[in-house]
Amino acid sequence: MITVFILLVLPLFTTALAACYRSVRLNYWLTLLAGVTHLAASLYCLVMRINPFPAGWWLAVDSLGAFFLTILSHTFILVVLYSPGFLERMQGAKYDRSRRLYYPALNFYLLANTLVLVVQQFALLWVVMELTTFSLVPLMYFYRTKESLEAVWKYLFLVSLGLVFLFVGILFLSLSARGIVDYTGFVVGRMTEAAPRLNPLWLKASFIFALVGLSAKIGLAPMHPGDVDATSNAPAPVAALMAGSLRSTAMLALLRFYQVVALTRVGPFAQKLLIFAGIFSLVVAAIYMWRSRNYKRLLAYSSVEHLGIIALGIGVGGAALLGALLHLLFNSFGKAALFFMAGNIHRAYGSREIKSITGLTLRLPWTGFVWAFAFFYIGGAPPFGMFFSEIFILKGMIHSDKWYKWWLLALFLSLLMVIFIGMSRSVLRMLQTPGGTPHSTTVASERFNLSHALGLYAGLVSIPLMLFRPAALFDALHAIMTTLGTTL
Amino acid sequence: MINALTILFCLTLIYLAVSTRLSAYVLILVLQGMLVAGVHTLAFFNDFAWSHVAVAVGVLLVRTYLIPVYITKIMRDLDMRLGDSTRRYHPGFLIQMAAVVVGAFVLSDYLSQMTPVNVVPLGAAIAGMGAGGLLIMRRRLLLAHVVGFLIIENGLFLLAIGVEAEMPWMIEMAGFLDLFVLVFLMGIAMNHLKTHFPEGESDDLTGLRE
Repeated sequence: MITVFILLVLPLFTTALAACYRSVRLNYWLTLLAGVTHLAASLYCLVMRINPFPAGWWLAVDSLGAFFLTILSHTFILVVLYSPGFLERMQGAKYDRSRRLYYPALNFYLLANTLVLVVQQFALLWVVMELTTFSLVPLMYFYRTKESLEAVWKYLFLVSLGLVFLFVGILFLSLSARGIVDYTGFVVGRMTEAAPRLNPLWLKASFIFALVGLSAKIGLAPMHPGDVDATSNAPAPVAALMAGSLRSTAMLALLRFYQVVALTRVGPFAQKLLIFAGIFSLVVAAIYMWRSRNYKRLLAYSSVEHLGIIALGIGVGGAALLGALLHLLFNSFGKAALFFMAGNIHRAYGSREIKSITGLTLRLPWTGFVWAFAFFYIGGAPPFGMFFSEIFILKGMIHSDKWYKWWLLALFLSLLMVIFIGMSRSVLRMLQTPGGTPHSTTVASERFNLSHALGLYAGLVSIPLMLFRPAALFDALHAIMTTLGTTL
Repeated sequence: MINALTILFCLTLIYLAVSTRLSAYVLILVLQGMLVAGVHTLAFFNDFAWSHVAVAVGVLLVRTYLIPVYITKIMRDLDMRLGDSTRRYHPGFLIQMAAVVVGAFVLSDYLSQMTPVNVVPLGAAIAGMGAGGLLIMRRRLLLAHVVGFLIIENGLFLLAIGVEAEMPWMIEMAGFLDLFVLVFLMGIAMNHLKTHFPEGESDDLTGLRE
């Protein structure tokens, strides 16, 4: 019961306490406490394969949930650690309200996302998905500017419309189970047991609607614009949270549907849809990453790219599914590092325009170094984790029995190359100083600070994970693969 | 009786196409709220349970009172007088709306041949969802978009009845709460938007385009 308390009750308490207390310092410690204990509880569930909730509840932690809980709490802790430095910079009456709301909203975000990850009942899943949107709004609107307001509006509207589609998907799923399970059995476990007997027509329709609806939150094309606008206009820690954990949470909701569908003859249809969504997202990311003039927007499109890779990996199955799961984990590390550095750059230059940023390595040497480091990490360079996860996805494609696998492989590699070149154009331009020697006033001695340490940690931690491949993690990943109807 | 109420629901959609005033949209929301509450009550009339009563009361409270009152407050706060028109009347919109309603019933009839569903409520539900989407596309005022979203939600509620999907009442209530909070947040956002975009039209929201 202590685990249940830590996962659900503690974030509720810390939300309430942070809302009551005005001390930013105290709220920081409360939030950190909630995050650290949450990570401990998530790792406990992942390693020990324990479901802390009583049997028969609509809440449970299975291997899939434990893995995603770990991603959530790890990203959350990184963001909380980055937050004091960020809030210190946001002084002035303009930010007073935002600063006051920051920690309560952060704690509520943890609670809402945890609920999505532990809920097993499909209709309840819809309700708690809405909660994640509400928790983000005060965080996204931190700067209270015209742009952030526009982004909030578009995000609220598009994601809410997406959730309407999700609800239709849930209704169709219940139709597919008519006469087989009643609403009390409308939970993941019972539905997977009954999977072979479900009506395939409604199951297909259900998966289509769930995919379209959740795409707005996952950030898959063509439902990505609201998410891209919101991520690129949110403060750095919030953007890191969205790119690193919120998209993963939404992906888990989609995997709950896939968990049922994969065990039926509709499985191959769902796989094709995921492959299509993945490739389409990569195409959109490739186009916009070449055109992007704003570096935070560039990172937001990088998220569209990586979630596209993950959808593709899930669709291909086998080793590619393992790669997709690892990619989810490593993407959360990389996005935290990149968005933290984007925050530092924005503070120093006061602009998000790529053309306004030059000489990063001289003006902000540590930030420039971590920025370049995180770029190579996210670009899939060895020996970082994303290199290995992409190798797994390629391996899965090669060993797949799909007739179009070589075409898919060629397309995938070509798109990755185009995206890498497109992103490197902007990132390297920001690092370099045009015309040789910089103006003397632009050279400043930047000290190594916690944000750089967090960025480096986020990138480096993936290396031992892939070199030593801890059994606890990989056993859990193999268990997830089994629940999704595939093996290596 | 359920069929009669759902056909009335479709008539409100036609009214939506011919009216251009925001006050008329609020009236449509109230009417639709009453109709979906009535459909819900009748659908479970022979199967009495307090949970069904709670859901019907929830529908009435949220959809016919809280949300319309709140939208009227936003209109007053934002100085959008009841007579403000979002756009001139255009017969093309009426034709499109009629096509959506007819198309929805054709689709519903087609689906009924494959699986047991209630054709008329299902048709009305699809029509409601389509009409809400159409309103969002055709009208530029952001408040009209919120109304469009709420009409889609009404259609969604009818869809659950049309396909006879049974949901636990607690989840239905939580859904209403979510809906209200969502509209509340949209209202707050709209209040702030007014300071930056006095016209309150979707055409103004172009600052984030590449």
